[in-house]
Amino acid sequence: MKNFLLSLFILASIQIVADSILIKGGMVHTGTGERAQLQDILITGKVITDIGNNLVIDGNTQVIEVNGLPVTPGLISPMSNIGIVEINALDVTRDDESELLKSGFSIFNAFNPHSTGIPWNRSNGVTSAISSPSASSFPLFGLGSHFILDGSIDIQGSKDIAMFGRIGSSYGSRAENLSILESLLVLGQQSKQMPVEEVLEMRLADKLELQSQDIIALAQVVNGKLPFVLETNRAVDILQAIALQKKYDLNLILASVEEAPLVIAQLKASNIPVIIDPMDNIPDSFDELGSSLELGKILDNAGIKVMFSTQRSHNYHLMRQGSGNAVAYGMSYESAIRGMSKSVAETFGLVKRGSIEKGNFADIVIWDADPLEPSSFPKLVLINGQTQDLTSRSSKLTERYMNKDNKPSSYKH
Amino acid sequence: MKNISLISLPLLLIISCSDGLNFGKMDSKSNDGRKENAFESTYMPMDSQPVLFRSANIYDGLGQEFLNYDLLIADGKIIEMGSSLSQPGIEVIDASNKWITPGIIDIHSHMGVYSAPSVTTSSDGNEATAPVTAEVWAEHSVWTQDPQFALALKGGVTSFHVLPGSANLFGGRGATFKNISQNTIQAMKFPNAPHSLKMACGENPKRVYGNRRQSPSTRMGNMAGYRSAWIDAIDYKEGMDESDADKHPKRDLALDTLMGVLEGEILIQNHCYRAEEMAMMIEMSKEFGYKITTFHHAVEAYKIADLLADEGICAAMWADWWGFKHEAYDMVQANIAIIDQARNGTGCAIVHSDDEVGIQHLNQEASKAMSAGNRAGFKISKAHAMRWITSNPAKAAGILDQTGSIEPGKDADVVLWSGNPFSVYTRAEKVFIDGAIAFDIYDPKIQPVTDFDLGIIKPQTIRVQ
Repeated sequence: MKNFLLSLFILASIQIVADSILIKGGMVHTGTGERAQLQDILITGKVITDIGNNLVIDGNTQVIEVNGLPVTPGLISPMSNIGIVEINALDVTRDDESELLKSGFSIFNAFNPHSTGIPWNRSNGVTSAISSPSASSFPLFGLGSHFILDGSIDIQGSKDIAMFGRIGSSYGSRAENLSILESLLVLGQQSKQMPVEEVLEMRLADKLELQSQDIIALAQVVNGKLPFVLETNRAVDILQAIALQKKYDLNLILASVEEAPLVIAQLKASNIPVIIDPMDNIPDSFDELGSSLELGKILDNAGIKVMFSTQRSHNYHLMRQGSGNAVAYGMSYESAIRGMSKSVAETFGLVKRGSIEKGNFADIVIWDADPLEPSSFPKLVLINGQTQDLTSRSSKLTERYMNKDNKPSSYKH
Repeated sequence: MKNISLISLPLLLIISCSDGLNFGKMDSKSNDGRKENAFESTYMPMDSQPVLFRSANIYDGLGQEFLNYDLLIADGKIIEMGSSLSQPGIEVIDASNKWITPGIIDIHSHMGVYSAPSVTTSSDGNEATAPVTAEVWAEHSVWTQDPQFALALKGGVTSFHVLPGSANLFGGRGATFKNISQNTIQAMKFPNAPHSLKMACGENPKRVYGNRRQSPSTRMGNMAGYRSAWIDAIDYKEGMDESDADKHPKRDLALDTLMGVLEGEILIQNHCYRAEEMAMMIEMSKEFGYKITTFHHAVEAYKIADLLADEGICAAMWADWWGFKHEAYDMVQANIAIIDQARNGTGCAIVHSDDEVGIQHLNQEASKAMSAGNRAGFKISKAHAMRWITSNPAKAAGILDQTGSIEPGKDADVVLWSGNPFSVYTRAEKVFIDGAIAFDIYDPKIQPVTDFDLGIIKPQTIRVQ
């Protein structure tokens, strides 16, 4: 037997070379919504091959003793700008908007695996993310893609997995906005029966200056194929969205939904999952007057699937703090963990991701304390069974300025 | 043009100053029926009864923790902290397994000047019509019915400093408030608190005015703009110092403010991200003979931590914000801890919010900053980190003699927390301001509801039940 026991402190700096890894004695939150329990996780290659107690291992298995520390699936951000925005205020570093394309705007080819936001969020426990176009004045912004945050130049991602849009207060009337959105869905429907070129010649398509990419994307939204994330807040707008979902058989996900508690019964009946920022209780517009810190609890109690976003650019890992606050205000702990992992994978069809279950890719985080406490931090992050380096530009700067050598900082490296 | 959301770019809107109640030289001239201290505080504490907190765990806001102690407050003041205190016939609150801290103080808020809902008609924080607007006072923009005050109170915030935004080189005066909504601004103002003057370095002023093809459009233009204004202020001050009142120059609101800084009565609150810019601001303060109280945002403060400690300048920072602009690119989570620990722990670190959500959770922000510091190798206790959101911001606002710590004689601004305030699961149960209960999590009658919140969704109910 040549099992090696490694302390987590050492792990941060070395690569695991064994064929398989046993994470032993962790308090495992599988992400499925089940209560956490002390158990072991066996990883072979990229995949979780077993979970349980007293797992049988062979001689070439590296054993990581976790001593009861919390273990969760790698967190998945359902709505981010990771890899497509470097600095918000610098247009030349942004790839999240298009002048020409609308519903068909795909950010996939803009993804930069070397963006500094990737190691930063990864070192904070986010192992993959959906990046999406940013809001525009048009009701549909375009298509988001899912990316594995291992920083590899061989980008692993799933292209154009969801449509993103918004209804609510706008420059004109929200009624006009809703009407345009519905007309776009009708165009999508029609494009199933006629060539895209003919759809483009229709009066509305022409008036809105739609391109063929826009029409092709719209066709995927109607009749439930492509997940469609629609941001909206006002109670009555949520009802409008539910009506559209039924009429056009949409695979709808609602985002923000700050006034959802006012229409909770209808939302529950619709079975639509939601993405919320649980810390945003500001009545920031006349669409969000019902905003409160109890949103997560009310949705969770109604059995609605809840996922998490954050308003803070670049710090998508702060969904942990958000979900922690949701729990402080009454959401169930395991729903909160699920909301950052399996719920996202399920909703967006991310295959074999998002939970610690046999057969899934081993995207796993071992935490130094309760992951919903914002003061906690990962001790070990695995993506596809590979130990990730937790170094970030931020940690390099910290190292440099903690170094008290008497020389210019530019020589401290 | 890309859309830059105000949420991801709050700093575009920001920066302010403090308001000085004292006009210095102006006072001596004001004997012709004019009011001397215009716009001074008319704040009166709410009625209160003495309260004895029994068996509390206490962070005193000065770095100490006291386990299983009693705390007595009466007549709006902190009376005594000790073991087995007793006072017959007064209200006793069982605080066992709970924590008490000083009221939380935010040194950087725009509540009231950027009220909710954030609509153009409530956008009152930046007089972005000229790079030097030292004549405006943030308090003159405050909307007393901003629903954000009550939300901050639920997060334990008892005092906050409202600043103008950062569009201008000199944004105007800031003022400190007690967190009790009243129908006049003066009735909310913190008594005897100094004004501040908001200054702004870097990207914001040069962008705002550069886009209009006027100065400043560069960082060197920023510096020239500040220095020209200080030269005028020195000239004005010399005129006002003339013993013959007939030789005094005509009163000028902007120069009154700058003169107040030169006389040490108005505190400089300086929005500044980059290390070399902070160092330049320090050099300029020496050129003209004034003191900088606090650098705000200070994302790169850790690069010049010893300099800030040597100069006795506080840095008010976020725990982890970054990336929204170029000057916020070099974020380290240990920033706050590095400032705190500079020069053998003599640095002055503050956790600020500059944000209507963040102000509700300053305890959590301090918790993140503390744990990041400890991961970087420091040994910072919770009791010590509590200073970052209590006594240090009180010092920076010039109100430490009145609040910011649990010490006999200070204002009884205290928070009773359901558990340890460094945990995400802990909530403020009761908040006292000047000894009066201002918020009680279990009593809807002691939860403030602004006029805005009343009947706005349904006429029969308040905005959020």
